[in-house]
Amino acid sequence: MKRISIVSAVAVAGAMVLSALPAQAADPGVTSTEIKLGLSSPQTGTAALSYGKLPKAMKAYFDYINANGGVYGRKIKLVARDDKYLPTQAATQTTNLVLNDKVFALVGALGTATHTKAYAAAQLAKNNVPDLFVNTGFSGFDNKTKYPTTFLVLPSYAMEAKIIAKFIADTPTLKPQASFLIAQDDEFGIDGVNGFKLGGHTFTKAPTLYPQGGLSSALAEGALTALSAAPGKPVLVLMGTTDTTATLLKAAEKLSLTTKFNWIVGSVGGDANTLLALGVKSTTIDGVMAASFFPDAKDTSDEYVSQFMKINEKYNPGVSFDNVVLQAMNSAMLTVQALRAAGKNLTRAGLIKAIEDKGSTFAGAGLAPLNYSATSRVGYNGYWFGQLNAQGELKPFGGKLTVYTTDSATSAAPVASTYARKSIPKNGIPSN
Amino acid sequence: MKNINLKKGLVALTTAALVAAFAVVVPSAARAAEPTCSVAPLALYNVANVKTCTGVDEKGSKYEIRMPANFNGTLFLYSHGIRKGANLPAIPVVAPKGYIVDNSPSVAPSEEVATSLLKQGFALAGAGVQVQGWNLAEQTYASLLLTSTAKAAFPKINKVVGWGNSLGALSTQAVAEQYPGTFDAVGNLCLAESGLAEITMAGDFLWGLKSFFDPTIKATGYSAGTAGYMEMLGDMGKVLVVLNALATAIAVNPTAPTWPTTSGVPAAYQGIPVRSAILLLGLISGISTQSMTYDSASGPAGASETTFGLVLSPALAVLENGAEAAVLAIAANYDMELRAGGIVYDNTKTDYSTRLGDDGDTYAAALSGKTYTGVLLSILKASPRVSADPAALARFKTLYDLQGKVTVPTVTLTATADHITPPGATQYFINKYEADVSKGRAGVEGASKAGLVTSIWNKPSDSYSTFDADGKPVKPTLAPNGTTHCNFTTSQTLLVAKLLAAAAKSGKSPSASTVKAAIKKDANLFVDPNYQAPLFKYRQ
Repeated sequence: MKRISIVSAVAVAGAMVLSALPAQAADPGVTSTEIKLGLSSPQTGTAALSYGKLPKAMKAYFDYINANGGVYGRKIKLVARDDKYLPTQAATQTTNLVLNDKVFALVGALGTATHTKAYAAAQLAKNNVPDLFVNTGFSGFDNKTKYPTTFLVLPSYAMEAKIIAKFIADTPTLKPQASFLIAQDDEFGIDGVNGFKLGGHTFTKAPTLYPQGGLSSALAEGALTALSAAPGKPVLVLMGTTDTTATLLKAAEKLSLTTKFNWIVGSVGGDANTLLALGVKSTTIDGVMAASFFPDAKDTSDEYVSQFMKINEKYNPGVSFDNVVLQAMNSAMLTVQALRAAGKNLTRAGLIKAIEDKGSTFAGAGLAPLNYSATSRVGYNGYWFGQLNAQGELKPFGGKLTVYTTDSATSAAPVASTYARKSIPKNGIPSN
Repeated sequence: MKNINLKKGLVALTTAALVAAFAVVVPSAARAAEPTCSVAPLALYNVANVKTCTGVDEKGSKYEIRMPANFNGTLFLYSHGIRKGANLPAIPVVAPKGYIVDNSPSVAPSEEVATSLLKQGFALAGAGVQVQGWNLAEQTYASLLLTSTAKAAFPKINKVVGWGNSLGALSTQAVAEQYPGTFDAVGNLCLAESGLAEITMAGDFLWGLKSFFDPTIKATGYSAGTAGYMEMLGDMGKVLVVLNALATAIAVNPTAPTWPTTSGVPAAYQGIPVRSAILLLGLISGISTQSMTYDSASGPAGASETTFGLVLSPALAVLENGAEAAVLAIAANYDMELRAGGIVYDNTKTDYSTRLGDDGDTYAAALSGKTYTGVLLSILKASPRVSADPAALARFKTLYDLQGKVTVPTVTLTATADHITPPGATQYFINKYEADVSKGRAGVEGASKAGLVTSIWNKPSDSYSTFDADGKPVKPTLAPNGTTHCNFTTSQTLLVAKLLAAAAKSGKSPSASTVKAAIKKDANLFVDPNYQAPLFKYRQ
C-alpha cells in the first residue's frame, strides 16, 4: 500500500474523518485473482443462427489474455447465459448474472428489446453495474440519465441512416433512382427513419415497416412485387436483422428480382457469411451494398483481423471467423483496455470513470473513432460503404474506403473522417 | 411483548374507518359471546389434543382459535385474502358451482400449513370477516379483536405473529403500523397494494376489454339494488364470452387471430392481430406477462421457438392472467362502489402511452410494431373515460394506506409474476419503510429502525412452458411455483413461519445469511437487498 506522509493539520483532520467512515464494501465479482464478467445473448433459437458465436468468441479472447497474465494478474472469467433473444429471458438471465453469479460487469449484451427490459429488471443503474459495449444501435441507450452505466459499441441506427442518405445523394448511379425503405417497425427502424429525415433523404413512398419476426416469405414477396413496379433500378434499403434480410433476398430470388434493385443492407443485417448460411445465393449477394465500421472479416491484410483470426484458431477451434467473431473479440479487447484503465484497485465506479476518461483512446478494429466521454456513451460513430462480392467479401465502394462520421440527433451532414486508427497492441494484448 | 391499549385502538379504528367511511355496510354491533371450546378429534387436524375455540366477535366476524396441547407460547394470527362479497349463481370459470359469500374463519394459508404448525406447538387463530370484498377496515378490526380474545382465553400466549395473504397481508401490516405492540413479528405473504392501486390495475384491464372488444360491458357505475347486481352478473358473462372468443381465435390462427364480433373497433383497424391488443392491455395495466402456462421465455423446439417466445407467449400469458383480473375487477368494482356509494375507479387523466413506457420497445414485436401500437393507443385515447364520484372516492381514500412504519421484525414473501398482487405492492411497502428509516437517520423521532424488514422473492423457473409433440403449449395441472396468485408451496410458507417465530422471540429480523441458508435448496426463492420490483402503474 502506498504510504502517505501527513504533514498538515488539515490532512490529519481529513484522515481522521476518513478513518471514522465505514470501510467501503468491495464490489462483487472481483477478487485478487479473478474478474467475473457476464454476458446475456442468444445461444439457442433462431437468433443464435446470426449471433450465437458471440459468447465463445469473447471467451476465446479472454482466455488468450488470461494465458498471457490476465489483467494486473487477475484472470477474466466470462459467465455467458442464453437469453434466446427474448426480453423476458434476457431480464431473467441478466438478473441471474447480477444477483446469483455476482458478476462485476456485463459485456456485449445483444439486442434492444432484450436489453431495455434486462437493464430495468436487473437494476443495473441502482447497482451501478457497468454495462459495457452493448450490441445495439438504438440511440436511446445514449441517454446517460436513464442508462448511466451503459456504453454502446455500435454506431447508432440513426447515424447509419444519415450516412446511407449521404451515400445515395453522393452516388450518381443511385441519386436519380426511386428509393424505398423496408425496416423493422420498432426502435431499430424508427431510429433509421428518423436518421433518413435528419439526413434530408425522402423516400419515393412511405417506408414499409414490419414487426420483428413478422415478415413472412409471402409478405416479403408482396412487398417486393409492389416496389418492383417502380421504373429503372430503384434503391432498396433494408434495415432489419440478418434473418429478415435473408427472407427478402430469397423472395427476390424467387421473383427473379435480384437485379431489379440497388440493394443497400444495414450493418445489422448485412453479414455475408450469415446470409449465405441462411440460404441466400452467392450470386444474389454479389453487388449488394452495405455499411460497416469494421474492416471486412475476410481481409487478412488487416492487422486486427489477422491477429483475431489467430486467437480464434487457437482458443475457439472449429469456429469460422466472421463479422460476429470479429466484433466479439474487438469488444473483448476494449473490455481489457477498460479494466486496465480502471487500475489495480478495480471498482465499478472506477471502471465507468475510466471509460469516460480514456475510452476514446482505446485501440480497436473499428475504422471510425470511439466517442466515449463524460457526456457520451456512444461507441463508434461512423461508417464506410462497401459492396459485397460473391465470396462475401465487403470491398470499398468505388475502390476507395472513406469513413464518414456523424451524430444521431442533428441534421448536420456526415463528414469524411480524418481518424487514424491505432495500431493493434503488440500480439493483440493491451498494455495501456 | 409490548403492552398496548387494544380498547383505545379499537375505538379509534371504529371511529376513523368504519363509522365514517363505511357506516352503510357495517352491520350493527352485536354483543360478542365468549368462545366455545372443544378438543378436536385427532382425525380432524392429524394432531392430538388440539383445543378448538370458535365464536363471533362483536361485529359479527366468526373466528377460530386452535390451541395445541404442546403449546410453545407463540400464536400465529392469520388474515385471509379477498373473497367475493356477493353471492353468485353458477358461472363457468368464475364460480362453476355457484358461490355463497364465505365468512368462515381461516387460521392458516392452508390446512397442510396449519397441521404442521400445530404439530410444532404453535397456536393458530383467524377470523372470517363479517363482510367480504375489499374489507380492509373490517379485517383490521377483526384481527385486533381476535388478538385480544385469544390472549384473554389463553393467557399463556406470550408472542403473537400476525400474518396474512394478499388483502389479509395488507390488513395485517395495517394493524402493525397503526397499533404497534399488537404483533411481535409480521409476515406479509403476497402483499396487496392499496385498494385504489389494485382497482386501477384490474380496472384498466377491464376498461380496455370494454373499449377494444365489447362496448356493452358496463364495468363501472353499477345501479343500486338488484339491478346493479344483475348488471354485475351480466358483465361477468360478457367478459367470459369475450375471453373465450379471443382464446378460440388465437387457437385457430395464432399469427393473425380475428377480433370478437362484439368489438366496436372499426373494421379497418381489425387487421391488427388481436393478440397485440390483448398484450397492450396487459402492459398498460401491469398484468404479468408470465402465467401458469406461458413463460414468455421459451417456445416449442424448432423454427418457431424464438417467434413463439417473442411474439405469442406474452400475449397468451396476459390473456390467461387477464381472465382472473377482469373477473376480479368486476367483483371489486361492484363491491367498492357499494361500499363507497359511487364509482371509485377513475381513468380520466390516464395517459396510456406513458403507462406503456419502455414496454412499447421491449414488446414491439409482440405488439405488431410501433405503427400498430400507435393505432391501438389512439383507440384507447378516443374511448370514453370513467370519472370517479368525488364523494365516493373521498370515502374510499379514508381507508388506511401503508406508511412503512415498522416496529417489529417483518418478513415478506412475494412472487415476481403474481398477476393479482404484482411485486410492486411489496416494493411500495419497502420503499415507504426505507423512506421512514431515512427520516430516522435525519433525526425524526418515532421513525422506523433499519434492518427490520426481510424480503424474500419467489420467481418462476427461468423457463417452464411445455409443448406437446406438435409444438402446442400444454396447460399444467398445477400452476408452476411463482406464477398465478399467492402460489407458494407449503415448505415455502412454513419457512417463512419458522423465520417469523424466531424473529418474534428474538425481536430481530432474520439476518441475510440466515435467510440465504434457509432458502438455499429452493431455486425459486431469492433474497437480495439490491433487487427492486417495478411499482404498480398507479404509482409510476
